[in-house]
Amino acid sequence: MAAKSSSPKSKKSKKKQANDNREFVAEAEEILERMFEDLLDLQEQRHGADEVDPDLVNRIFRSAHSLKGLAGMFGLDGIGEVAHHLEDILDGLRLGRLSVDSPAIALLDDGVSLLAKLTTGLDRSDASSTENAQATQAFIAQIEQAIQAPSPRISDELDELQIDPSLLRALTEYEEHRLRENIRRGRHITLVDSIFEIANFEEGLSELSGAVREVGEVVSILPSPGDVPESQIRFSLLVATEIDSDQLRDRLDYPNTTVQSVQREADSKDRSEDEAGAEPKSANPEGGDTASDTGPEAPDIGSLRSISDTVRVDVRKLDELMNLVGELVIQRNAIAGLATRLSTGAHTARIGAELTKTDKMLDRKLKELQSSVLDVRMVPLRQIFEKLSRVVRRLSRDLTKEVELDFKGADTELDKCIVEQLVDPLVHIVRNALDHALEPQEEREAAGKPGKGVIRIEAFQRGNHVVIEVEDDGRGMNLEAIRAKALASGLIGEDETLSRGEILNLVFEPGLSTAEGVSSTSGRGVGMDIVRSNLAEMGGMVDLATVEGRGTTVTITLPITLAIIKALFVRVGPERFAIPLNSVLETMALPPDEIGHSEGREIMNLRGEPLLLRRLCEEFEIVGAGRDENQFVVVLGMGEQRLGLLVDRLEGQQDAVIKPIKGPVQKIKGISGATELGDGTAILVIDVSAIVGDAVRRREAA
Amino acid sequence: MSDPETNLESDASVPGQKWEDVARTAADVFSGGGDTHGTDLLRELIVFGLDGSAYAIAVEQIREIVRTRPLTRLPRSPDWLLGVMALRGEVVEVVDLRRRLGLPSAEPSRSSRIIVLHGDAERVTGILVDSVSEVYRVSEKFVRPAQGFEATSVTEICSRGDEFISILDPDRALGFQDV
Repeated sequence: MAAKSSSPKSKKSKKKQANDNREFVAEAEEILERMFEDLLDLQEQRHGADEVDPDLVNRIFRSAHSLKGLAGMFGLDGIGEVAHHLEDILDGLRLGRLSVDSPAIALLDDGVSLLAKLTTGLDRSDASSTENAQATQAFIAQIEQAIQAPSPRISDELDELQIDPSLLRALTEYEEHRLRENIRRGRHITLVDSIFEIANFEEGLSELSGAVREVGEVVSILPSPGDVPESQIRFSLLVATEIDSDQLRDRLDYPNTTVQSVQREADSKDRSEDEAGAEPKSANPEGGDTASDTGPEAPDIGSLRSISDTVRVDVRKLDELMNLVGELVIQRNAIAGLATRLSTGAHTARIGAELTKTDKMLDRKLKELQSSVLDVRMVPLRQIFEKLSRVVRRLSRDLTKEVELDFKGADTELDKCIVEQLVDPLVHIVRNALDHALEPQEEREAAGKPGKGVIRIEAFQRGNHVVIEVEDDGRGMNLEAIRAKALASGLIGEDETLSRGEILNLVFEPGLSTAEGVSSTSGRGVGMDIVRSNLAEMGGMVDLATVEGRGTTVTITLPITLAIIKALFVRVGPERFAIPLNSVLETMALPPDEIGHSEGREIMNLRGEPLLLRRLCEEFEIVGAGRDENQFVVVLGMGEQRLGLLVDRLEGQQDAVIKPIKGPVQKIKGISGATELGDGTAILVIDVSAIVGDAVRRREAA
Repeated sequence: MSDPETNLESDASVPGQKWEDVARTAADVFSGGGDTHGTDLLRELIVFGLDGSAYAIAVEQIREIVRTRPLTRLPRSPDWLLGVMALRGEVVEVVDLRRRLGLPSAEPSRSSRIIVLHGDAERVTGILVDSVSEVYRVSEKFVRPAQGFEATSVTEICSRGDEFISILDPDRALGFQDV
């Protein structure tokens, strides 16, 4: 179908289809990767025992489900159909209709491989599509056959329960399966009834179910309004535990809570049906009506609800929204100007004051709008961490190096655009750590270290920046080897004396980083120049620290968002620039006689520390900027590095929306974009990391 | 910043808008094919003056035409790049087309205009020309490939009476293909 529709269409829509496909492939690859990993785990579990972790099966099920939805969105019927059939198998497994050793389960691996093949096939020509379509149909037939294969009918364990049948009817198919499974495994089934205040029942309920989970499984949570005051709500928890209900009762010491075993004791099996039914009824007086009232809600528990909590939004739409908000901010600035002008006029002072007041309100609301829109763009780093952990797992298998991965600060949030661009540099750094920095087990043990290496990744917020540290306990870097290599490749001269930091920084030089010699002896540095330039594009910095024999720490510093910033406006000669305030440490006036010189460079004394100075007018070749009058110094900080930027005048702070510059000249060093003022002028925004990095490199080169 | 001249200039969105309308109507007619008789296809060109000669760019490649306005100089950029301008929320580079084509440069005058070219996403660009004269509808048969001009950005020539108009390929003129 896809092949047929693509041929008569115009070039443009074909291109669009290709774009769409690329979008699909990007997302599908991530899902498939997760499925492969989970299937591996599933296999391991199947060999170990005849029961598999229900959470794991649910996770694979959800992956197949997401993939089906995604394929549907992009109109990729073949992939959707395969995913749908995988869903059937997994659903069967989830609900106990299929046993773990069913032939259908063995087909899961083939199914995911087929999906991967179909997905990569999207990038290529139509030549393989008929072949793939045939493979798809054959596979689907195979699944259908396997699912139909009779699986042994499980005897009805539910007969063992003394429980209100209406409560059982309220269970979802999945919950019922879990109940049977638990009975089969000889666990104790108990009904826990509890009454909570409506105002805070969620906390109470989660506390109670948390306590149960410590000793077993909560099969189902069913609300049962019953005979309680209006301000209260009653819940019944059907739980399965290894301990019996008396022991459970001792553990669950909560007010208004009753714990009742619903299992027939072996010796009381001959109790009359009436008597048996009476017990749960006393706990749940209107059980019959209750269950059907709440029926439509109850089955959701434990189902797929979690995927529908979020809405996927194209980042471009958010960008548009952000642009609109930005323009509103600019318009607001214009209104503020008008208000000031009116306030100074003799006849318009009153109306001006009114307008100023209204403008203040507008400003406040706009700020709220701005931060809400910004907030939507923020995503936790957890996404990247999950990806990294998959990379590490695969790589540690390939290299047969055992490694412990330790994440901290997965909830730290960053702008979506930054997170996207951060993946590659981080993967690179982590791969380096695993591949080169961590020694093989024998070598580690010989050095008195634990055989298993540790990579610790920690993210935290520091002011307007997010810091990510990647630390390993590997062999560290050999500074002499780096120096020797830099010398050999002509990066530095024979008689140069370099500080430790300067030698380490050589790792980021393109000439050095691609060299094999260093990566095999000192164990690091492949492509670190790319890492640095990728991060610099986002206005970020990367620093290194290493102790030979003990390990290396790579520290990444990034701005939280790229879109709206507070900026310091400065003037140099006739030109104005904006400097992102999050990289400005302080500003001060600097009389000419306080500028000192050292080896031909200008420096100043900043509270006892020498601070390297750069003149913005020289940096950007601005004519007409005063050299002799009093200058102002803007102290910039990026990562560990400092630089004093000399400007003619400071012109205050303002919010600025950074826009990319469109046109034939892309990427000007030292400029990260431009912002528009209320009067329609464009002001260039300075790329602090480029200016600081450049100045520091120049000092090292000198 | 506040002299009357500048204010007048930055208020130029009205004529710009008019040109855009003209351009759009022309483009509609062109794509609708209402005026085509047999193989006699019509082309819609925006004709502009540069160093005393007539040049043209296809209407479909032009987004709008605005008056000159104060530009912000872009450091560390080639000399044919005049700077950037803010245009309804976008920041767009403005190219001095005279310099870019190797013609003698000249100060902008009252008749100077900035032609804003469409472009994929990041390629929206303004080009400064001496004047914009008209939308010229020309039959395909008066358009000839520009022979001997292969290396330049003039791809075709069309005749209007006894005068010739050089048709520019903006992508080539701006050097996008070698970026």
